[in-house]
Amino acid sequence: MTAIILMAGIFYGSMYGGSTTSILLNLPGEAASVVTCIDGYKMAKKGRAGAALGIAAIGSFVAGTIGILGMTLFAPAIAGFALSFGPPEKFSLAVVGLLMAVTLSGSSVTKGLVMMAMGLLLASVGLDPISGKTRFSFGVIELQSGFDFVTLAMGVFGLGEIFAGLGSFIKAEVATTKVGSVWPTLKDWAESRMAIFRGTLIGFFAGVIPGGGAVISSLVSFAVEKKVAKHPEEFGQGAIEGVAGPESANNAASSSSFIPLLTLGIPGNASIAMIFAALLIKGITPGPFLIQEHPEVFWGVIASMYIGNVMLLVLNLPLVGLWAQLTRVPFGLMAPVIILFTVIGSYSIQGQAFDIYTLIGFGLFGYLLRKLKFEPGPLVLAFVLGPMIEASMRQSLLMSGGSFLIFVTRPISLALIGLFAVLAVGQAALIVYKRFSTPT
Amino acid sequence: MKRFTAVLAVMLLASFLVPAVSMAADAYPSKPVAGMVPMKPGGSTDLMARAIEKYWIKYSSQPMVIVNKPGGGVVGTEGVVRSKPDGYTLYLGYGSGHDIVMPSLQKMPYDPQKDLIPVARVSIHSVAIVTGAKSQFNSIKDLAAWSKKEGKPITTAVSVKAGAVDLALTAFGKAAGVNIVTVPFSGGAEAATALAGGHLMIGGGHPSEVIPHIKAGRFKALAVVLPQRDPSLPDVPTLKEQGIDVATWGSVKGVAAPAGTPKEVIQYLEGTLKKVCEDPEFRKTMENLSQPVMYQGSEEFGKFLKQATADYAEIIKRLNITIN
Repeated sequence: MTAIILMAGIFYGSMYGGSTTSILLNLPGEAASVVTCIDGYKMAKKGRAGAALGIAAIGSFVAGTIGILGMTLFAPAIAGFALSFGPPEKFSLAVVGLLMAVTLSGSSVTKGLVMMAMGLLLASVGLDPISGKTRFSFGVIELQSGFDFVTLAMGVFGLGEIFAGLGSFIKAEVATTKVGSVWPTLKDWAESRMAIFRGTLIGFFAGVIPGGGAVISSLVSFAVEKKVAKHPEEFGQGAIEGVAGPESANNAASSSSFIPLLTLGIPGNASIAMIFAALLIKGITPGPFLIQEHPEVFWGVIASMYIGNVMLLVLNLPLVGLWAQLTRVPFGLMAPVIILFTVIGSYSIQGQAFDIYTLIGFGLFGYLLRKLKFEPGPLVLAFVLGPMIEASMRQSLLMSGGSFLIFVTRPISLALIGLFAVLAVGQAALIVYKRFSTPT
Repeated sequence: MKRFTAVLAVMLLASFLVPAVSMAADAYPSKPVAGMVPMKPGGSTDLMARAIEKYWIKYSSQPMVIVNKPGGGVVGTEGVVRSKPDGYTLYLGYGSGHDIVMPSLQKMPYDPQKDLIPVARVSIHSVAIVTGAKSQFNSIKDLAAWSKKEGKPITTAVSVKAGAVDLALTAFGKAAGVNIVTVPFSGGAEAATALAGGHLMIGGGHPSEVIPHIKAGRFKALAVVLPQRDPSLPDVPTLKEQGIDVATWGSVKGVAAPAGTPKEVIQYLEGTLKKVCEDPEFRKTMENLSQPVMYQGSEEFGKFLKQATADYAEIIKRLNITIN
């Protein structure tokens, strides 16, 4: 029982911690924090690291708690929703989520799409998800299971940033010396309140869907925030809603991802699957009978999550001030430390030196992207979602006997594609309208 | 700037040196043993591995650490094949579909017989053919009748391509004249989830993957693809009982070490696994996971694998099964 709670705690705790390195160092610890880098790191560069960290902590707490509350009240009712997502629905969700985030996030849609395509290509290295054959490995054994997400993310985000910083060494140092207000101001709070709320709602529902729920929820939340914002041009330049929304979403998703496990016995992601295995070995079968057969496990896990969320807030808030001071550390001191940690980090994942070379390679690539003004976000996100998109698309086509109609004949899938079509047409119309209405 | 670069270089160097220090050799085992599971967590192989991990420490001075390396089975297994044959990297799940079925269907990057040394067999479990509880199919006969009448393919969830489950279902389709289209997922847990959502017509899975769903009233079992009934599904008839001449070895789950591992290390591992397999609590745990313990020592297991591989090759040839 304590072991299960420990594992659950590590799982949602890491979702919490992922934001810290994203904001301070532009290093996303896990896929769901990639979006946080976009505005969070920009905020830190402007001396608003404290505000970003503070709002991430508060947003996470609020979302986590509402998520657990939702789970306590509606777990069984929502469980059926999770099952309704088969391969075609997952495909549409992942594609629509990715396209929304890519086309709405960066400054240039074309560049975003180029990055997305590159991310998808990188994701195709390694194992073919359907036939199980290796692709594009060129006989390199280390490439057979594909590139590692953490190595890629640390390379293009973290190392790329440092390499770019080396080019403008003195400028970077000046930019980080002003720390500014450590806490979120009232204005910040007013701006992000609704973002937290919307993020929570998106995260709660997306988290229930098995596989990749947290990542997609952060993407969708970011896109939604930009769409409803009064000043969408601030996004990508350090908009606090761009941190508050996605961070809330991924935490709500990490709470609600327990729902399929506890009510249906279905593990939605790798971390939850570990908990699933631990329960089974103890002779406890997670599923619809869990509440009756082992109420102490069901309610124990939920109760521990309430306490865990409070603990995370208590542990994190006092640290916000301290973390924010980190941005004062001169670049010359910070850079080698970051390089050291990224190298150790990527080596320790699989214990192979090959990953260090790929890390450095991706770092140089990230530097190039910065010089050419390409956003690395869409690349990394496409890389994460690529395998899911490919596998679910091919599974769907096997199911339909090769007919693409399967994506539009199933209600949930159709609704998702329809929603995106409306948004895309609206966006295009807006651009056209602006171009012709403003005299040049 | 110069000093900074120097410090950087030293740090980088230092980080490269870390692994070299920890490679001191002592009496085996002097450090934790990595148990590689070439599948996602939560599937049948992973469950067996975690059960072994739990009881291993009772009989060994060093713990076993489970490492999941998903990728259709082949990638993780090849990782073990290419690893140092020092007994610190083991393959858990030896005897799975990609070891004894796949070699008869496609070219392998390694030889599952020659590049691995069998340590011990832990369990054999069957493949069950299941369908949603609300499905119109109540028996194998219904499936065949529907397929003949409608002429449409029957979509089938399987754990991985060319694995034991995929083969069992494809062989069934060929023998019964049913148009089976297998849709592979990444592991049995994911395949069962998709079937539970009603996205496919039928599915195949190991008892540990489907029994929780049967108990929850979401699945019903139509047949077991073994020569005799499975003790964990005593009410489910075999395919042979239903008039279809297809029986497979199901899925065999054992432990292997890379070729070249010293003999005394293999003996130590075999002995330790024997003790684990004789532990009554371990047996009980495995029973709860619907994976009955069927221990075999290194030599016997090697002979068994040869036989099983030949049997699968025979079925594949007889039914003219190809997978692309």
